[in-house]
Amino acid sequence: MSRRLAIVLFSVVLALPMIDGRRAQSADRIYMGESICRQCHHDAIGKRNQFNLWRTSKHANAYAALAMPEAKEIAELSGIDVNPFDSKVCLGCHTTAPETEAWERDSRFYFEDGIQCEACHGPGSGYMELDVMMDREKAMMAGLKMPGEEFCMVCHKEKGSHTAVLRVKEFNYKDALREIAHAGKGGDLPQMEKPAVKLESGPKYTGAMVCGKCHQGSMMGHQYSLWRNSRHARAFAVLGTEKGLKIARDQGIDNPQKASQCLKCHSTGYGNPPGRFLKSFDIAQGVQCESCHGPGSEYSPEAVMTDPIASHEAGLLKVNRETCLKCHNEENFDFPKRVKRIAHPKPKGDRVSQIEYKTPFNLAITKDGERLFIACEGSDSVIVVNTDIHRVVAEIKIENLPHAVVLSPDETRVYAANRGTDTISVIDANTYEVLTTIAVGDEPHEMALNNVGDILYVANAASYDVSIVDLKQNREVKRLSAARGTWGIAPSPDGKRLFVSNNLSHYVKFREPSKSEVTVIDADRGVVTDRIMIPSANLVQGVAVAPDDEFALVTLIRTKNLVPMTRVMQGWVITNGIGVLWKDGRVDQLLLDEVNNFFADPTDVVITPDGKYAYVSAGGIDKVAVIDLDKMKALLARSTDKEREAILPNHLTASMEFTLKRIAVGRSPRGMTVSPDGRFVYVADGLDDTISVIDVAKQERTSVIDLGGPKEITLTRKGERIFHSAEVTYGRQFSCHSCHPDGGIDGITYDIEPDGVGLDPVDNRTLRGILDTAPFKWTGKNPSLSRQCGPRLAVFFTRIDPFTPDQVKALDRYICTIPRSPNRYRVGDELTPAQRRGKEMFERTHSNAGREIPIGNRCNTCHPAPYFTNREVADVGTKSWLDQEGILDVPHLNNIYETPPFLHDGRAETLEEIWTRFNPNDEHGLTNDMTKDQLNDLVEYLKTL
Amino acid sequence: MKGIFPIVLAVSCFCFTAFGEEKAVEKPILAGEPYVYTEWEAFTTESTHGGLINDHIFGLTADGNRLWIGTENGLVLYENGKWKHWTEEDGLPWRVVSSIAVSPKTGDVWVGMFGGGIARFSAGRFDHFHQLNSGLVNDVVYSLDVEGDNIWVATTAGVSSYNTITGEWEIYTEKNAPMEEIWCYSLDATKDKVHVAVWGGGILEWDVKDRTWTDHHDPDGEMEIDLYRDDGLIHIITTSASYVDNILWASTYFGLSRYDGRHWRGYMDHDSGLASSFINLAKGRSGTCCYNATDYGLAVLVDFETDTWVTYLRETEDAKTWTAEVKIGNELIRKVPTQLSLPNHFIICVEFMGDDVWIGTGHGLARGIGTGYWPGLKKSEKTVSAKTTKSE
Repeated sequence: MSRRLAIVLFSVVLALPMIDGRRAQSADRIYMGESICRQCHHDAIGKRNQFNLWRTSKHANAYAALAMPEAKEIAELSGIDVNPFDSKVCLGCHTTAPETEAWERDSRFYFEDGIQCEACHGPGSGYMELDVMMDREKAMMAGLKMPGEEFCMVCHKEKGSHTAVLRVKEFNYKDALREIAHAGKGGDLPQMEKPAVKLESGPKYTGAMVCGKCHQGSMMGHQYSLWRNSRHARAFAVLGTEKGLKIARDQGIDNPQKASQCLKCHSTGYGNPPGRFLKSFDIAQGVQCESCHGPGSEYSPEAVMTDPIASHEAGLLKVNRETCLKCHNEENFDFPKRVKRIAHPKPKGDRVSQIEYKTPFNLAITKDGERLFIACEGSDSVIVVNTDIHRVVAEIKIENLPHAVVLSPDETRVYAANRGTDTISVIDANTYEVLTTIAVGDEPHEMALNNVGDILYVANAASYDVSIVDLKQNREVKRLSAARGTWGIAPSPDGKRLFVSNNLSHYVKFREPSKSEVTVIDADRGVVTDRIMIPSANLVQGVAVAPDDEFALVTLIRTKNLVPMTRVMQGWVITNGIGVLWKDGRVDQLLLDEVNNFFADPTDVVITPDGKYAYVSAGGIDKVAVIDLDKMKALLARSTDKEREAILPNHLTASMEFTLKRIAVGRSPRGMTVSPDGRFVYVADGLDDTISVIDVAKQERTSVIDLGGPKEITLTRKGERIFHSAEVTYGRQFSCHSCHPDGGIDGITYDIEPDGVGLDPVDNRTLRGILDTAPFKWTGKNPSLSRQCGPRLAVFFTRIDPFTPDQVKALDRYICTIPRSPNRYRVGDELTPAQRRGKEMFERTHSNAGREIPIGNRCNTCHPAPYFTNREVADVGTKSWLDQEGILDVPHLNNIYETPPFLHDGRAETLEEIWTRFNPNDEHGLTNDMTKDQLNDLVEYLKTL
Repeated sequence: MKGIFPIVLAVSCFCFTAFGEEKAVEKPILAGEPYVYTEWEAFTTESTHGGLINDHIFGLTADGNRLWIGTENGLVLYENGKWKHWTEEDGLPWRVVSSIAVSPKTGDVWVGMFGGGIARFSAGRFDHFHQLNSGLVNDVVYSLDVEGDNIWVATTAGVSSYNTITGEWEIYTEKNAPMEEIWCYSLDATKDKVHVAVWGGGILEWDVKDRTWTDHHDPDGEMEIDLYRDDGLIHIITTSASYVDNILWASTYFGLSRYDGRHWRGYMDHDSGLASSFINLAKGRSGTCCYNATDYGLAVLVDFETDTWVTYLRETEDAKTWTAEVKIGNELIRKVPTQLSLPNHFIICVEFMGDDVWIGTGHGLARGIGTGYWPGLKKSEKTVSAKTTKSE
């Protein structure tokens, strides 16, 4: 071999992986639908009997199963507050390719087919051609997948929600594989070409899928899915099973799927000439709608179908006993019982009544003090209360999770912020009619209006900004950057400045204390003019400005996350209090705690019009503290600078000097408002569905207004109360809610382990929609929430008696139901071009250089849909000098954009940093070959998950 | 028209001009009086006693009566005669500030840093975005500007845009834009268009509504001469773009170009009032008026129609004050002394503040005070005329 030839050959060898890689990457990736696979894989008496086996398996009914009542229950337990059919998480294991866009699916593809061939074997367009499929190696090069146990376990690993509801036995991979075994090849090739059929006049069979287009969804009682779950839908396929074939053989029939004796009752429309079947009709769907209701081509149009007379005239048959007896001619056929079994009525519109608590959060009062408007997150409504008679006079249903309300200056409008739908509902304050909704930033919380009432300011907790809404146009005109977790808004007395509280601390360097911001906005110009910093504080939520404009008050907590949680007995985990923001820029902090009698979860603050008192609600201890402001000012005035900076912010008895009393109110007090005459303070008792009325003269709760919530306390509600109560903590220092506000995160890193020396710092993780993402804990050592919240909690967190089993059960139930927010980056099916490119990167199998990426180093190996975690542990090279172990839980990625910082110790402030800074050796997936634009695309896609 | 024919034509023209008949011509007459800045204030680190913390001035942006100044070592604010500065010690993420833009919507100040990415400076807080923690394509930022809710950034490795509402970053390089080079030197964003001066790649124009790029190049492709005047961009090595009144002004190291959407017009130092063809930045004050920061002074095309210029320069290296030369084309009409006393005439940036003009140089900052300023030419009864001899 000449030297020149050797060089050429060497070059070719080098280029081969690149060529293969490109080919693989550019392969066609269209999901074709099971009917395409069936063309070859359907031979009841031959070797390729895969279709019949699949069609009679649970996989084929996986989608329809979501119509079962249990599915709704499971969804609720998983924090999914939408219909399971609309949840990407549910669909992720109940159908094929739910993550795809429309262009990735052929017109013959149907989600209704559940887990069909391509769910496991990959999109078929690349390998479906006969010559490719006949050659396994070639087919695999073209995209055919032969997945193993790991792949199956992504869906079949135990899920708490399914176990709880279905009581399913443990999944055994080998048994399951045996159950769905469908090997087989060879035999005669199928006839692909089908003769053209001339349609005849008159009614024709359309097929169940045409009926299913309308007869889907809860409004139609999921009729299609109910049928699909029935034996009727499997009637054809069952003929090709071992049992079906045996029965046929006993009767001397070779292939029952071609025998008229069988097909007349195991298929639809059998015996009619080919011209009576539309192309959409599929005999393999068994006994379909038209078997009983007659061929549907003439009555299926909606206009006909919805007219009883017209549909009858067009051929829609009424079903009676005789209809069934055509096939069910057995002697003991029990018609009423069998009809009941396949009943598929259309609902009459009356929703099944559910336990729906009110869960009042914030409230506003009219100038005459006669009406209260209360935002109720639990019932998705604004409740109107007449304060004279202490009764509910109206309830206005609005959108999801209304958090706060505000009244226009002329009191003609009420604005309610829906944090579940990122909108503001505009309500007529007199007719209680919802006039319109306005889109704003992510998770709107509190609001304020300018003096004129034509500009609305909205604090957006999840987008960390303030929306400025022009109410003349009813649209958002600009956004101002606030800080993290933008929460409350209070105007100065002249209305010229707005004080905006931010729930979460700024990002701080690793192992540095928190620092929180109160953003000040010039209300006339609509610009940020100041950012007041409060050191060592977080969860700054409530805010109010003194009537003389000398100071503003905020509620805050001071989390000592830099010391081990074991210090709770020294009163050194979370302290609770207020911040005093003086006009001259000075900031004081005062605790409202007392030794062994803490003031957990200060939530809201109001000041009486005369400026004498401030009231602070403590969600964790069901109390409202009354602060004598003159005494508070006197204490600060006589204290030295050093005392004000270093002593008072941590002083556990100073509050006794200025706190007049703590008034017991209902469970989990949240927002408050003061009557304009200063006589009453109204407190939203979040978990009692009541409003406490405090008489300012008496400093007592003098009455309680019932908002009409259910009196029955469900297990979930019980858990919600436990979650928000500090009763379980030593000295009542904090509740679960203190670190997981709104079920989310507080954005800081803790040392919660027993070493007590600062090892293994861990970033706080969200509780939203986590049930089926077990194991828990960053080490992945807790297999269930019960373990996570059981005795371990008492040992490491609360330091008093652990929860009772009943309490753990209730708490777990509640945590499971904390809903995940809607994803703000993916609207419907479509991806943006950048997201689409990012998906390519997420699913890529080859590097930019064309080399195959080892399976273990691909994104979607450890982060597969639907939760985007394989629920295993892995070492991605992020072990730090403080970590005892580098093997960590693979986190789920749903709504990942909501929960910065990232990685187990919160070292990555942004998604980009995970790879630009903390993946130097490609241990966290192969990413270092990516160009900057590819990484940007990947990030854009991740935000859609 | 390519090949040898254009060269022959050019040489013929040159010969005709060089050896043609000499005749007496009228000295051009000013169609009106241009405004001349004679009253100036100059600022250096020394003269401001450190108020101007560093006098290597890279960027100037006016926000009402406030002037933001980007220097080699910090961000400076000049307001009502007072100086305030932010260095790395004060939270500025990177010392070299190359560009500043103020969002008209939010009032936030966006800071481009040469080697340090960009930062949002909002009510005292710096939010730092760089190539490691964000989608910014590169940290070597030459220029940035605000378009609606988007921040556009010109870097040494392409253009980035950041949507402040969605948080999405876009990158534009040779992969997805007609960018022959990715060294993006300057950027100018308006409501409808974003223009990028690509060093060696001409001018790129982004249509905000259509979300498409259009490229403008030097059609003759010649490096040292502009073979066909007014055939397009004067040179492909562009240093800035400025879009005002639907007119594009583009500076290059070989002259200035003006484009009205249909016609191009080119200017070089030998045929215009440009003090030098080496232009660091051109900033349009209107569709007919453009201020050019050159390596040899400030050249102002006051009136496009009449080709009237006012050029501010130091006549000699040791001149204490600068002189304003009023010209029509490159014909000097008269000289006007000014109070401008900056020691350095390498002008890097220009900004307008009401009637005043600011210039930033390699050594100091100056403000031309526009007392009684008027735009364009002011008609006067006095006519300036003189006879002179000129070659045709």
